[in-house]
Amino acid sequence: MVEGKKYRQFRVNKHLKRLMAKHYALGRYQRYWGRPLHRKLAWITSGAPVELLRAFKIYSVYPEQYGAICSTAKATEKLCQAAEAAGYSQDLCSYARSHIGSILRPDLAPMQGLPKPDLLVACNNICGTVLKWYEALAHLLKVPLLVLDTPYLPGELTEHAHQYVLEQLQNMVRQLENLTGRKLDMQDLKRQMARSAEMTKFWREIRELAQAHPSPLNGPDLFIQMAPIVAVRGSQEGIDYYRKLKAETEERVRRGEGAILEEKTRLVWDNIAIWPKLFNFTKMFTERGACFVTDTYSGGWAAELASGDPLESLAATYTNIFLNRSPEFRARQMIELVEAYEADGFVMHSNRSCKPYSLVQEVIRRRVMEKTGVPGLMVEADMADPRAYAEESVRTRVEAFLETLQAL
Amino acid sequence: MEDFFVGVDIGSLTAKVVLVDAQGQALAWAVDRSGYSGRDVAQRLTQEILEEKGIKVEQIKVTVATGYGRVTYPAEREVSEITCQAKGIAHFFPGARTVIDIGGQDSKVIKVLPGGKVIDFAMNDKCAAGTGRFLEVMAGALEVSLEEVGALAVKAEEHKAISSFCTVFAESEVISHVSAGALKPDILAGVCDSVAARVSALVERVGLEPDVVFTGGVAKNAGVAKALSEQIGYPLLIPENPQITAALGAALLAWGMG
Ligand code: SF4
Repeated sequence: MVEGKKYRQFRVNKHLKRLMAKHYALGRYQRYWGRPLHRKLAWITSGAPVELLRAFKIYSVYPEQYGAICSTAKATEKLCQAAEAAGYSQDLCSYARSHIGSILRPDLAPMQGLPKPDLLVACNNICGTVLKWYEALAHLLKVPLLVLDTPYLPGELTEHAHQYVLEQLQNMVRQLENLTGRKLDMQDLKRQMARSAEMTKFWREIRELAQAHPSPLNGPDLFIQMAPIVAVRGSQEGIDYYRKLKAETEERVRRGEGAILEEKTRLVWDNIAIWPKLFNFTKMFTERGACFVTDTYSGGWAAELASGDPLESLAATYTNIFLNRSPEFRARQMIELVEAYEADGFVMHSNRSCKPYSLVQEVIRRRVMEKTGVPGLMVEADMADPRAYAEESVRTRVEAFLETLQAL
Repeated sequence: MEDFFVGVDIGSLTAKVVLVDAQGQALAWAVDRSGYSGRDVAQRLTQEILEEKGIKVEQIKVTVATGYGRVTYPAEREVSEITCQAKGIAHFFPGARTVIDIGGQDSKVIKVLPGGKVIDFAMNDKCAAGTGRFLEVMAGALEVSLEEVGALAVKAEEHKAISSFCTVFAESEVISHVSAGALKPDILAGVCDSVAARVSALVERVGLEPDVVFTGGVAKNAGVAKALSEQIGYPLLIPENPQITAALGAALLAWGMG
C-alpha cells in the first residue's frame, strides 16, 4: 500500500526474503554436507561463469552481494575500519574492504561472515580490483584461486579475444575436474545455461515493464529485486520467483499503479546503488514525484546469453559485460535507456569505490546530454561506505537538479 | 498595504537577507556572519531591515530560503542556491551563460539560459580546495586577513606554485615558502592560482560559454578573479555585491510566487 509518500510494496517480497535466506542458509549447510557429498563451496565475483561451476555441483556465494548486505545492515563502517587497520587502503573498493574485514572480524559481520570456501573464482570483466582482492583471500584462507582474464573491449568482441577467453575456460574445466573429481557433463552445462537464459529473460521482461507510465518499478525495487539474478542465477527457484514478480508487475501496469504515488518525472540511474542510504536518498526524489524507472546496474544482469556451444557462449557472454566495454558503448546504452523509457533526465552516482564504473561517467554524461537533450546529475557517494556520503551537499544537488526539471 | 518579498541565504560563513518590493525592486539587504545559528542571524537581519524600512511582518507575503541553512528557516519555500544564484545573476547580467560561484565552503559552476534557467551545474563540496575556506587557512598561515589576500596577490612579482590540493599539505607548502624567504604577495598569488585551477576544472565539466559571471564571497578577491580569468581565457563580470546575489535570486523567486 502507498502510505503517505512511501512505496508501494510488492506482495512477492515475502517470497524474496525466503529465497535469499534459504540461499545463505544452504551455503552454510554446504560446509557440513558438502564434504561427504563431494560438493564444493566457492566464493566468486559477480561476473564469473557460474553456470560452469553449477555443472560441477559447486555452490557459489558472492562476496560482492555480501558487501551490499553488510552495508544495509550498517556493518560496513566497522568492517572497513578493521580492514584499514590491517593495512588495506581506504581507496580500495568498499566491498573488498568490508568483506576482508568480515574475515578478520567475524564478530562484527552479518551472519558472522560467509561460510568458508573451498575455492575462489575471479573474473576481471568487472574490474581489476577483484584480482588483488581474491589473491588476498587466497592468501588468507589458503584455498585455490581460479582466474578468468577477459580483455577489455574497446570495440566489439574480436575473434582473438574470444579464442583467448575460450581457451582459459577449457583450462578452467580441467582445473575444476581435478578439484572436484568429477567429469564435466556437457548436457548438464547446457541445462544450467538454459535455466540462466530463462531467468535472465524474465529479468529483462520485468525491467521492460517499467516503460509503462507510471512506472511499476522504482530504483529500490530494481536494486532489491535483482538479488536473485545475482545470487541464484540459473536456479529453478529463481525462475519461479521471477515468474511471480513478473505477474505482479504486469498487474500493476494493467491497473495503472505506479511504484510511487504521483509520477511526475522519470529518471535513469547509473552505477551501483547507494546501499547505506538507499531509502533516504530515494526519498528526496519520491517526495518530489521523481521515479527511477530504469538503471544500468541491475540491467547488467539482463543481457542475453551469446550463441554457440556452451563454452563459446560463456566466453562471449562474460567478455561482453558492459563494464568491460568502451565509454562509447556505455553512452549508447544510456541514450537507449533514456529513449526507450521516455526519461526526463538521468542521475549518475560517482561511486568512490568502483573506479571502472565511475571514471568515465563525466564523458558519458556530456554525450548523453548532447544526444538526448535531457539533463544529467552527478552525485558523489560510495555504494557501501557511509563515510563517503555528505547528506547536505547531496541534497543541494538533488534539489537543484529537480528544480531544473520541474517548474517551481 | 503594500506587499514585500524576502530572500534569505544562509551559507556556511555568512547569512544574507534581501528585501524586494511589489515591483520586484531590491529595497534593502544585510549580511552578517552566520555563526552558530544561521537561522537566528537571518531572522535578526530580516527584523532589522523591516524596522529600518518601517515595514510590518504581515506585509511579507512570501519568503524563500536558500543556502545550507535553508531547511531550518521558517520560509514558504526552500530553493537550492544553484537555482537562486542563477536567478539573481540573470537580474544583473541578462547575458550571463556561465556563473562561477565560490563561497566559504563550496564552489559551483552553473550554466544558464537567458532568464536564469539552470541547464547544468557542477559542484565541489567534498574538499576545501577551491573554496573560501582554503583561502582562509592559507591567509591564516601567512598572518594576513582574508580581505587583504586579493590586494596583496595582485602585486606579486613571481607566483610561488602551490601544488597540493589538500589544505593541510598546501598549508605546509606555504610555510616552507615562507621559510625559504619568499614574499607574501608571491605566495598568495600561488594560493589564488590554486583556487582558480580547481574551479577551472569545474568550468570544463559544464563547458564554458560567455558571458562569464564570477560571484560569491570569494569574487571580492581580486587575486582569485585575476587568476581565474587568465586560466579560463575570458573576462569575468563581477556583481557590485557578489555576496548577496543568491539571496536576491531567492527574493525574486519569492516575488514571482506572490
Ligand atoms: S571495484 Fe566495482 S566492479 Fe570491482 S568489485 Fe568493487 S564494486 Fe565491484
